[in-house]
Amino acid sequence: MHGHLGPFQGIYFPNPSPEDMIRTMDRCGVRIIVSSSHASLIDTKANIEMTKVVQRYPQRFRAYWVVNPNYPERMQRELSEFAETDGFVGFKFLSDYHKYPVTGTGYEPALRYADEHGLLVLMHTWGHSSYDSPSLVEQVAERYTNLVLLMGHSGYGEWEKAIQVAQQYLNVYLELTAAYSVNGVIESMVRQAGSHKIVFGTDLPWFDPHYGIGCVLFSRITDEDRHNILHRNAERLIKPYL
Amino acid sequence: MKFFDCNISFGASMLRPIRFAETATELLDEMDYFGISEALVRHARQRDDSPTVGNEILLEEIEGFNRLHGTLAILPLQTGELGSAETILERMRAYQIRAFWAYPAEHRYLMTKTALGPLYDLMVEQSIPLFIEISESCEGLTGWHLIETVLTDVPDLTLVVTEHGSWGQDRFFRPLIEKYENLYLEISRYELDGGIGDFCRKYGAQRLLFGTGFPRWNPGGPILMLARADISTKERKMIASGNIERILKRARL
Repeated sequence: MHGHLGPFQGIYFPNPSPEDMIRTMDRCGVRIIVSSSHASLIDTKANIEMTKVVQRYPQRFRAYWVVNPNYPERMQRELSEFAETDGFVGFKFLSDYHKYPVTGTGYEPALRYADEHGLLVLMHTWGHSSYDSPSLVEQVAERYTNLVLLMGHSGYGEWEKAIQVAQQYLNVYLELTAAYSVNGVIESMVRQAGSHKIVFGTDLPWFDPHYGIGCVLFSRITDEDRHNILHRNAERLIKPYL
Repeated sequence: MKFFDCNISFGASMLRPIRFAETATELLDEMDYFGISEALVRHARQRDDSPTVGNEILLEEIEGFNRLHGTLAILPLQTGELGSAETILERMRAYQIRAFWAYPAEHRYLMTKTALGPLYDLMVEQSIPLFIEISESCEGLTGWHLIETVLTDVPDLTLVVTEHGSWGQDRFFRPLIEKYENLYLEISRYELDGGIGDFCRKYGAQRLLFGTGFPRWNPGGPILMLARADISTKERKMIASGNIERILKRARL
């Protein structure tokens, strides 16, 4: 439930293209990925490019539409474009990088739209961030109860607060990218929030899915938990978009 | 496949990990759970306490556990805390210790030849590897800049860099890998999709070492990543255990 696509500034990717990613997904048993392109994280005009990827590989890709609140003049036009375009399941916020808090007014049009339509919103979240900490996500969750909030990276480092928010708000999920690597975190999440509130992600083409899968498989949780985390919850959430 | 973990720690540290092994017996239970046969181990007190205390705790804790291979934390010899190079080597012979760890930030020393020259000489002459986390620093030198500085001073040093992070580091370490033939990378955080295969196709498998970074990191990640990496069985075995066994056997005590 957390992927990207294409090259990015600060990292060398051996496998950045859609075809590369599909080869990796086949090797690792990943059926489908929901991605925002790296290009669209920088310039939202690139969002539309993901449509072509989804059209080319409808069984393997769905997309998030990146919202950058630093360009408020684009917002209404982009929401109209989003409404007319197939292949997207909702929005992606990258607040730590865009240096704009998830509680800021610039996100409101997108959040209202997502709430009206019950869309998914994948937020990059990080512990103690002034832009997207679990406490800030909680403020969004209190206002918008019909959208689905995926806490990307599970508020990395501020685990207890992130788990509490996922536990308390029906529409908030913990997303595991990078978080899975911290020993014992998955067990804590399952114990306190429940495996029905956790979804799997890899940031592909960043991280080898086998790495994250290994973290889930070796965690001291039940097979039912593993199924919930690795596919069942995601299947339920993206069913309307398949 | 045999997994020999070159980066594993036990003991209670100042900052409590979510899950950890307090004793050598508990560590072996963890290793059994993950299918790890042997490990090069360090004790949390070797970093959090003075090495004069931590090294002794480690030696005492692992005595009689033949699956656990000890390491010693270093200090500059000039303060006399660890004795002379000769006494350190004698101790290593007595306990079959074949590797060092450096914690320059916590233990506050420079990693220059001025500060560590006699120890570097010992390491090079006896082919004893030195391990260091990429997050280490000393007096303003950090990360790969610190690693390059050490290797510029001591190009023949067998240096193992651990936990190099999930943000791509290839642009940092590949130039060093090409220049310094005794530089090795531990793979606990080499999560880059296709990274291990890509590295092996360019440089071979002999420079990568399996490690988990337990207790901080989840061993399940590097285990499945390596088990399923797009490399040959021979390369997989080299990374999983062969390379570290070769490095440790090469150490002359």
